[in-house]
Amino acid sequence: MGAADQNTITRQKPRLMLAEPMLTMRGIVRNFGDVQALRGVDVTVYPGEVLGIVGESGSGKSTLLRMMNLEDTPEAGSYHLSLPDHQDSNLFSLDRFQRRMLRARHIGIVYQNPHIGLLMGHTSSGNVAERLLVAGNRNFAELRERARLSLAASEFPVERMDATPRELSGGMQQRVQLAKAIALEPAVLLLDEPTTGLDVSVQALVLDTLKRLQRDRAITMVLVSHDLGVIRTMADRVVVMRRGEVVEQGLADQIFQDPQHPYTQQLVHAKL
Amino acid sequence: MAYVATRGGEHAIEQAERLFRSDLGKISAARVSEIKTSLPYLVDRVMGEASLYEPDLAALALAQAGGELSEAVLLLRAYRTTQPRIGYAKTIEQADLFTVRRISAAFKDIPGGQILGPTLDYSHRLLRVEVLTGEDYVPEPVIASETPAPAEQPSLTAWQKAQGLIADHATDDVAPENIPDLTREPLLFPAPRAHKLQSLARAETGGVLALGYSTMRGYGDIHPTVNELRLAEAPVRLRHPNGTVFNAGRVRVSQAEIITKSAKLELGFSATFGWNEVKVISAATLDRASAQDAPHAASTEEFVLYHTEPVESSGFCIHFKLPHYVTFQSSLDAIRRVKADNVENGKAPEPVNEKEPAL
Amino acid sequence: MSLKDLTKPWTAFNYGFLDESAKRELRRKMLKAIAIPGYQVPYASREVPMARGWGTGGLQVTLTLLKPDAVVKVIDQGADDSVNAVSIRKFFNRVGGSAETEDTSQATIIQSRHRVPEEKLRADQVLVLQVPNPEPLRPVQPDMSIAREMHGDADYGQLWLVLYEQLVKSGRIMQGTEYPSLVNGRYVITPSPIPRWDVKKLHQAEHLTFLSAGREKRIYAIPPFTNVEPLVFDDVPYRVEDHQDKTCYRTDVTGFFMNELPQEDGSSLYELSDSNFGIKHLKNSQGETLTIGETWYKNGRMD
Repeated sequence: MGAADQNTITRQKPRLMLAEPMLTMRGIVRNFGDVQALRGVDVTVYPGEVLGIVGESGSGKSTLLRMMNLEDTPEAGSYHLSLPDHQDSNLFSLDRFQRRMLRARHIGIVYQNPHIGLLMGHTSSGNVAERLLVAGNRNFAELRERARLSLAASEFPVERMDATPRELSGGMQQRVQLAKAIALEPAVLLLDEPTTGLDVSVQALVLDTLKRLQRDRAITMVLVSHDLGVIRTMADRVVVMRRGEVVEQGLADQIFQDPQHPYTQQLVHAKL
Repeated sequence: MAYVATRGGEHAIEQAERLFRSDLGKISAARVSEIKTSLPYLVDRVMGEASLYEPDLAALALAQAGGELSEAVLLLRAYRTTQPRIGYAKTIEQADLFTVRRISAAFKDIPGGQILGPTLDYSHRLLRVEVLTGEDYVPEPVIASETPAPAEQPSLTAWQKAQGLIADHATDDVAPENIPDLTREPLLFPAPRAHKLQSLARAETGGVLALGYSTMRGYGDIHPTVNELRLAEAPVRLRHPNGTVFNAGRVRVSQAEIITKSAKLELGFSATFGWNEVKVISAATLDRASAQDAPHAASTEEFVLYHTEPVESSGFCIHFKLPHYVTFQSSLDAIRRVKADNVENGKAPEPVNEKEPAL
Repeated sequence: MSLKDLTKPWTAFNYGFLDESAKRELRRKMLKAIAIPGYQVPYASREVPMARGWGTGGLQVTLTLLKPDAVVKVIDQGADDSVNAVSIRKFFNRVGGSAETEDTSQATIIQSRHRVPEEKLRADQVLVLQVPNPEPLRPVQPDMSIAREMHGDADYGQLWLVLYEQLVKSGRIMQGTEYPSLVNGRYVITPSPIPRWDVKKLHQAEHLTFLSAGREKRIYAIPPFTNVEPLVFDDVPYRVEDHQDKTCYRTDVTGFFMNELPQEDGSSLYELSDSNFGIKHLKNSQGETLTIGETWYKNGRMD
């Protein structure tokens, strides 16, 4: 047993153990000056599951998500996605251009702040179409149709597909981000506090959409949130992070009903 | 010849130029000399923006342009381009300057003293209208100080650095010919500090004032204090091929250091040819501001340096007088098609968002 | 040998106005531009005796190419007698002693603002286009430093998006001039504000084209026989201006880019935009026998 393992409580393996992992990160270390944001984190995500990452602010969960989106490079660690053309390569060794292409084709992300994820002055359909354009689609009719389908799948009212995000509500903006993220059927969909800041009723609707998408399309998702309620609604499996380390991970039901690590207990009981 | 209607361009432009020049009349050595002696601050401004120190040529440029400043600067810059580089002057320290004015707002008194020198700062700005009715204005004689200030003054920052008030950054030991030179290399970002200071040194005075003022007023996190402002004459020291260093003359320079109070004291610096206080104070503020992380135009190096370039900004502005009928024709075509589409589809004509031709 | 033998007599200006170090820098940058088709090479861009925005970028390239046996043609909006074109042509003659011509086929260097002549250019001719804004990404990214990175990454999604949005909003591509075009399959350029009509002439051309922006300090090139492809969707064809069926009222010539001349009765007359091309046709109709070169467009079509 390694040192990291002693600090992490890992219990039963997930129920979907049939497939090879979709996403594997090993030994991720990231320092910002004197601050150790990530101290040797291991994460595995299996095809079709929703992995929830929970922790207070400063726990390193958002830094980890940015790594998964290849926006940042760690001091140490490896990152693999189960993709036909990147089977054995550590994705952190890709150059900026390769990262951009990989992101464009295989990774979808929904940010808490839609200003980061969307071009607010362009049409909503255009925001989705840009994804397809970057991937090389050059047929206007097809771009329109695929943007429409993707927006529809995100339960966005397609009659407003040519409105700009600026003209839309916060919930609708998140649906546009989602449509953009799933337009190319990503290997993994990253969700960074996707419903934080929305009204509770709107939050529930967006989560419903995410669940339906997950059920219908079996999209692999990584959901980062400080909100245990959101994690509990969505996640199959949960990783609990604290001060740059994974303190506990396991099936969602186990984590919520029978937390083992004192920190997890504290989190869960505070919530309940 | 049927195209005759659009011809005659050659004749027309020649006559238009003649009209401009005949309005100004004869340009003589006397007129140039009068400009040089009566309008030294204007001559200084032109030399600063042209980055060419030659008062006679600057006065000639002003005479030829009739005082149109951007034209005068362009004349001098265009002349400057043709001049080969024959040598590099020695670097001089602040203490080497023949200083005529040196003030600090940061301290009541400073080592070496506050030296007011020539200034209108405390004057009452009253027009001497009697001059227009024939009564000459003769300035009052200056009464010499009992203890004349030494011509060479120490640098205030040297004292502050010795006191540990300001961080002393290491200087790069670069041979003069290897100092990045804005006039011979393209400006790219992030700009080397040499390029940034050179660009500000030859920036348009009004432009740096406008942007500098925006940060002083509150767009940005800069609350400048004038640490030291100097008007001086700088000796130009050259190395003769036989090895001796000699004084080739002096040039008038202004320089400003502004200081801002953030976590520690930070300096902004600017220097330019000629005596132009507004410019160096503004430019030193911008030097500091553009190193800050603030979302304002004047905090962005690229924005500041591109938009204060006198020749580029004025040239681009006046180029809009050139004919643009081919670009216009090309856009017209697209607009008409959309109109036709709308008629065909029975839609009410909508205002069309034309893609602006960039010029 | 004395120092005097080694030096040239003093002259007010160097041959071709620019000093030799400026020309050397520009030559190097021009070679780099040819070596990397469509890549915007930064250059120092000296001040010249003309205002920025008035062709100073083209001027510096032409001055660098200038030699006493050069034959220079300068056009603005297609016309040799446009005032600024006249002024620039006179300047070349003054500082370089080069011959001036209005005849496209006679010229060795053609400096132009906003047009490419209608007659095909040859391998022994160089086209120098004046460029106000060299950056096709400017409308989506005004910060030049970021735009440079985007070119490095061939990150052109947002440019395509602009075209997508024009189609969504207007049902048509609304880009008039400076139509963004992919050069040699790598860099997207703005071909300067030439009409869409002229962009096709740059594709697989026999001649070398330099595009030079003096104010913005960037130079780029399209070497001979290089692909220049306007950004177009598979299902929305590239359309040049609807000039193929217009007839020049002066020359009765049909099928070339025209100037529209509005008439008081609300109608319009058209005249050939390429003034030298028009004049040659006119003179021939009056009995002269001038050679008119092969044209890119035939019967208003090119392909």
